[in-house]
Amino acid sequence: MIYLLPSISATLGAILSFSLFRNKHKEVSVLASFLALMFSIFLLFEPDSFTAFFYVDSLSKIFLLMISCVYLGVVIFSIGYLEHSHGHLVKSYQYFSLLDIFVGVMLFSVTLNNFGLFWVSIEGTTFATALLVASENDIAALEAAWRYIMIVSVGLTIGLVGTLFLYSSAHTLSITDLLSRQNQGSLFFLSGMLLVVGYGTKIGIFPMYTWLPDAHGKAPAPISAIFSAVLLPVSLYPLIRFFEVYQNPSLSKFAFVLGFLSVMTGSIMTLNQRLYKRLFAYSSVENMGLSLIGVSLGSYALVGTIVLIFTHAFAKSGVFMLTGNMLHELKTRKIEDVKGLIKIMPKTGLFLFFGALAVTGTPPFATFFGELLIVSKTINYYGWTVGVALFFFLVCGFLFINYRVINMVFNDETKPVSSAKESPFTFVPVIFITLAAFVILIVPIFYRFIEGVIK
Amino acid sequence: MLNLFFLSILQLLYVFALAPLAVGILHVFDERLSSRRGPSIFQEYYNLFKFFRKQSIYPKTASGFFSYVPYITFGMYLFLTLVLPIITAFPLLFGPVVDFVGGGLVFGAASTFLKLASLDSRNSYSILGTSRASSIGIFTEPIILLIFIMFGVISGTNNPYVINNILQTSTSWFFSLVHLFVGVAFFLVLIIETGQLPIESHTPNEFGSIDSLMSLEYSGRELALLKWGSYIKSFLLMNVFLNVFTLPFFVPMKFNILAIVLYMFINFLKIILLLAIFAIINNIVSKYRLFKIFDYILIAFSFALMAMVVFYVVNGG
Amino acid sequence: MEKEIFALVGFWEIMLSIFMQWQAYTISNIKTFSVQSWILGIFLLWAGVFHGFIALIILALLTIITRAIAMPLYLGNTIRKQIYRARENKHRISTGLSILISLLLAVFGYLVYYLILAGHGQSLVSIPITLMLQGAFLIVSRSNAYSQLIGYLVMENSMFLLSFLFSELPFIIEAGIILDVLGVVVVAGLLMRVRDEDIEKEEELLG
Repeated sequence: MIYLLPSISATLGAILSFSLFRNKHKEVSVLASFLALMFSIFLLFEPDSFTAFFYVDSLSKIFLLMISCVYLGVVIFSIGYLEHSHGHLVKSYQYFSLLDIFVGVMLFSVTLNNFGLFWVSIEGTTFATALLVASENDIAALEAAWRYIMIVSVGLTIGLVGTLFLYSSAHTLSITDLLSRQNQGSLFFLSGMLLVVGYGTKIGIFPMYTWLPDAHGKAPAPISAIFSAVLLPVSLYPLIRFFEVYQNPSLSKFAFVLGFLSVMTGSIMTLNQRLYKRLFAYSSVENMGLSLIGVSLGSYALVGTIVLIFTHAFAKSGVFMLTGNMLHELKTRKIEDVKGLIKIMPKTGLFLFFGALAVTGTPPFATFFGELLIVSKTINYYGWTVGVALFFFLVCGFLFINYRVINMVFNDETKPVSSAKESPFTFVPVIFITLAAFVILIVPIFYRFIEGVIK
Repeated sequence: MLNLFFLSILQLLYVFALAPLAVGILHVFDERLSSRRGPSIFQEYYNLFKFFRKQSIYPKTASGFFSYVPYITFGMYLFLTLVLPIITAFPLLFGPVVDFVGGGLVFGAASTFLKLASLDSRNSYSILGTSRASSIGIFTEPIILLIFIMFGVISGTNNPYVINNILQTSTSWFFSLVHLFVGVAFFLVLIIETGQLPIESHTPNEFGSIDSLMSLEYSGRELALLKWGSYIKSFLLMNVFLNVFTLPFFVPMKFNILAIVLYMFINFLKIILLLAIFAIINNIVSKYRLFKIFDYILIAFSFALMAMVVFYVVNGG
Repeated sequence: MEKEIFALVGFWEIMLSIFMQWQAYTISNIKTFSVQSWILGIFLLWAGVFHGFIALIILALLTIITRAIAMPLYLGNTIRKQIYRARENKHRISTGLSILISLLLAVFGYLVYYLILAGHGQSLVSIPITLMLQGAFLIVSRSNAYSQLIGYLVMENSMFLLSFLFSELPFIIEAGIILDVLGVVVVAGLLMRVRDEDIEKEEELLG
């Protein structure tokens, strides 16, 4: 029961900021997120619990910690971001309560023991976030939110068919029961493929990723941050559990192919982007493709995936929050209009540069270490050709994204503009990106921690 | 043998005599539902007698073909009355000449002759009517063929009499989903072939221009034969729908004079019921724009094709 | 007996979704969807009473209340508040071709069953698969937001039929599904505006 505490505190924050404390909703949300973070840290030291309703092991705890950290950061940043909200679809208190309930559902879903309830909670996050994506209330934002709802709902319906086949072939949906059975049979395989496709829609895997650039491009910055950082990995969580329960080389190959194609698409599409938020959205597609590859391979690639997800959460959310700063001050969404950021907004520019390095996997950041583990397992399992091809696409992504970011940050051909005001809450993304650098120090602790999950 | 010969003559006279009455009753139902008095039910007879008394005029540009076609088509329709199950459920003397598919092809041949003749007359309105009727006719042919094939699948034969017997005796086939879908498809095609709303309208307010334009240049005896032929065609199609598909009850399967004569009345009552349904539909819907007719045809085709899918799904792959 | 009635219900649902491809007005699509949900709900209710499963009866009642009554009313109200452009149902491909493709999807659904699932279930499984494909095609062939939403709801209807044939999911999950779909519809109703036909060329959504 104590494992529900972070989720309960977030949900309480939602209810309170909607009904009783409308005037003080910002403080209530900050308090709720802080409490959630405290509970998550406290839960790190509690023992694992495998009851009929809960399945909490070290993987869940890492996810809880990651979600609550990003949640706290996003809530604090939103306070500053919403000062400029005119003509938004949702009012300020509705925004905060939707954000709280969204995170509450996610915190709830990583502790569950039932594949069906996974589906219900992940589908439940859809309608909380759709209104948030459409906040800006112009035509393109509404269209982006509509595409998000439609594509994700249809994809999750396919995932539901997969869950149905799972139930019909195993007669149980709980992870503990499934772990103790011998799972084989073609219906199981079919359900696995459908689950990969279904949840893959929400994760952003080729060819179902098409909602991702639109939604990330048009959503307000804190929402893009929490999408990329938290929503995508939490949708990957049921697949991690599924691959734990059922090992099948063909299914792993299927997931690997999809992940590889996502990496390819993500890196290549970044060449042609004109809007900076879409650029980072495609980088998310690439990272999530890589995570799926890691999940499908298992053993130390899974460690790499978790390291990648954890670091990516901090780095990507930091980057998106900084783009929010850029949008507010420079009032343009295009890459080519942004020049010489380091002179105009020094903190934003510098940490944008570091953040871009982090998400593309550069050495001192732990994403590099995660990608290294995944690529090495790929070489080990599928041979040198595939591994080198994967590495090649990662390098492509690295080059294209950093080329654009360096153009934005350091290039000051135009006449120098007077420095613009940065948001007072810029310290949040700064802290996050710095944290992303330091995660590499705790990687050995990670490895010992999640040893039970790796086979 | 002689009995069958007399029954054939009886069937011929029955259809011959009562087809205009059926169309007359339909017009009266239509008008009464619109709160008008309408003509008398024998009006079509008066029309036919009037046309027979008039002189025939042919256009100068038409060939001899133009004057022969009404006789040819009338002959074909009379031939069809001898082979279809109208008042009996056992084949009469000429029953084995064509089966269902052949019957459908003879219908097609008759309407082809009519289209060629109206093209021959070189009147622009006739050509317009021909082109419309041809385009609709092309698309209804597959539906009819599919319906016949489905019935072949059910009964293992193409013989309309056997199909009637099977549907009369076996409740599982009668209430099956295949039968329902095929029946609906045939009803939709029946609306097209007999020229009811929503395909074509006959009221004084609206000018339906698919079938009525084809006989524009005819006059006198030929016109009477064409009109009578089209009444017989409607009557035959309605009979096929009722006797073979929908209500194949009471049709006598053995030779029994009393039963047959009784059945002639019951058959006419069934026809009147169908005409009432047509009249109700005529007063509810309005005529479709020409291009929407093809979507309507596609819906009829969907029913026919789904009948095939139903057969495979329900009766095992 | 139950197999026959399931085939009857299933195939009429498929025909109704072919009708949806035929309609010209959005409100007709919503009404057809309401009829479809009524048929589904009554069938589930009958099956629940026949077998004596309380959970199925409650589920059927929930389906009728949400999908056959509440959602069409809500969507109909939202349409009436919009300007007239939401009423016409624009096709991306012509009506005839879309009806034909829906029909071919029916055959394709049977083929999918035959090739992939033949060992695992009865041949009636092809019906929900077909319905799901037709719902997906309804989304693809329209650019009107309401029709796309109806297409999604048709897919969810087919899920119910599929779960009836395979083993029933636990009650809490089925209830969760209904509530989720309700939430999606409510949010979609709030979000639907008249979508511009040229939305696809908007620069911010390209690439």
